[in-house]
Amino acid sequence: MEVLVLVISFVLLLVIGVPIAFSIGIAGILTMLMSIDAMPAFTTYAHRMATGLDSFALLAIPFFVLAGGIMNSGGIAMRLINFARVLVGKLPAGLAFVNVIANMLFGAISGSAAAATSAIGSIMGPEMKKEGYDENFSAAVNITSATTGLTIPPSNILIIFSLASGGASITALFLAGYVPGILTGMGIMLVAMSMMVIKNKGTKGLAKVLGKVLLASVLLLGAGIGIKAVHDQASASTFKGLIYGLLGLFLVYSVYKSATNWSFFKFAFRKFLDAFPSLLMLVIVIGGIVAGFFTATEASAVAVLYALILALIYKEITLRDMPAIILRSVRTTCIVLLLVATSIGMSWIMSYENIPQNVSAGLLSLSDNPVVILLMINFILLFVGIFMDMTPAVLIFTPIFLPIVSSQLGMDPIHFGIVMVLNLCVGLCTPPVGSVLFIGCSVANLKIEQVIKPLLPMFIVMIVVLMLVTYIPSLSLWLPGVLMK
Amino acid sequence: MTKFEKRLNRVLEVFLVILMSVLVVDVLWQVFSRYLLSSPSSFTDELAGFLLIWVGVLGAAYVAGRKEHLAIDILVQRSPPARQQKLQFIIHVLILMFALFVMVIGGAVLVYTRFILQVKSAALQLPLGYVYVVLPLSGLIIIYYEILHILHLNKSN
Repeated sequence: MEVLVLVISFVLLLVIGVPIAFSIGIAGILTMLMSIDAMPAFTTYAHRMATGLDSFALLAIPFFVLAGGIMNSGGIAMRLINFARVLVGKLPAGLAFVNVIANMLFGAISGSAAAATSAIGSIMGPEMKKEGYDENFSAAVNITSATTGLTIPPSNILIIFSLASGGASITALFLAGYVPGILTGMGIMLVAMSMMVIKNKGTKGLAKVLGKVLLASVLLLGAGIGIKAVHDQASASTFKGLIYGLLGLFLVYSVYKSATNWSFFKFAFRKFLDAFPSLLMLVIVIGGIVAGFFTATEASAVAVLYALILALIYKEITLRDMPAIILRSVRTTCIVLLLVATSIGMSWIMSYENIPQNVSAGLLSLSDNPVVILLMINFILLFVGIFMDMTPAVLIFTPIFLPIVSSQLGMDPIHFGIVMVLNLCVGLCTPPVGSVLFIGCSVANLKIEQVIKPLLPMFIVMIVVLMLVTYIPSLSLWLPGVLMK
Repeated sequence: MTKFEKRLNRVLEVFLVILMSVLVVDVLWQVFSRYLLSSPSSFTDELAGFLLIWVGVLGAAYVAGRKEHLAIDILVQRSPPARQQKLQFIIHVLILMFALFVMVIGGAVLVYTRFILQVKSAALQLPLGYVYVVLPLSGLIIIYYEILHILHLNKSN
């Protein structure tokens, strides 16, 4: 009965357009009134809201938003694009690659898919058009790749997950996000390149290019396995010798290259230096957290200071601009914070009424095959992601699904967090309410219908990566396992 | 926009920016004191939590005034204007009720009991009532904004 009241009132409130945070609060309090007297229910809910926000970990969110806000006001997007251009601009479909890589870097630094879509898209759209890329195609690349910054750390949504999961390690979540985020970016690049080659050279040309890509990846994989074998089998000094040898070879090669093409090298080095301070922020924040210098929250405050100093040195902002930038970040974060506050109240009443256990029993009665259950959860989340923004979706569904997957399927909470975020990223690019889709289209001056067709293959590759990450735990758990000992 | 509304917005904006700046300085001080003074400060952690409650709840009221809270508005947008008006009215009334019952009434009782019981925070020895007072305060601000929104609906009718 309580479950029915909760679900029906919540869905009804959402459908008529009550803000999600208040829908959660009203549905939560209605459910509470079923079994608790009015006055204690109101007081308990108010108390939960306040204590829900009293969390040191949560503090990282406004700070990362603020650091991103300070950096956005400068020319960071342009610098990252120039840097990516030096790296991959010459390859086939090079500008599409530049768009993806710039989005991955910008998304990681700013922590916002929306900011990445508009900042990178507004520069890359015209650039790609100038070089003959199809507008709709460019927008599709920009929209899908903008979501990668949400899994590549630092990532606010992973902090929200950590909170909703009742304390999964933020450091582990951050590290776990790298491989899936980069994998998604590479998948989008592969699809974008294939689409370009098919258009220009037909399917035969594609076979050739894909053959080359396959050969290169097999060679790389072989080299990786070889190095690992040396590391495991041979003595430490042999391993060190091998690594230094490889580094030396690389150095000799780059010296040779730069000597033969000095002007390009100078150009590339300058672009790297331009982007370096922004990239260094990622190193300081993530490196500092992993090395144990500071917590995620302290790292986020350091990021604010770093961004501020950088922006003042570059003279991109003055201290006078700060109040407006701070206020903007407060507005962004308070939307999130009210969601956190009301959903903490709701999750209290959910566990009071044993709702997660009921949902779990319901799902398990449909199937007890782990593969099928994970598939069902993924489908539900994909469906939810079409209508609901990421933060409320994580806050509402983590307390429901996490107990099922962790206790029934033995899934690591870190792994589930990455699956969940990756899944909801797909929803950001899906009509009718995908926010990144909207922003990407409006930045490119296109209608949503025009972008759908080129978007579809990239969409599929996102789902393929999601499935890989869901069913191969080591894709997310390997990096935290190696670096956190 | 009435004169009072303008002034309220301004006061909230200035106050939120100050709170947020203090918050950043507070956490930076925590890192600084641990590494450079090697005497970790005992109060920064607690203060940060309290400030966050204030920023979060007061900011939520400010954002409600600007109607910027996330909503799924497909139905509202696709409705004919007359029904849009009705839906908007219902939405504002519902938000108002939540603010009244949970934030103002529930919050006020919470503050009252904390003062009666004289509960103080561990490090700062700050009465918790002062921390929670932001709930009824923000609730009242939300109610004020929602009434304005409703009056505005009627006017544009």
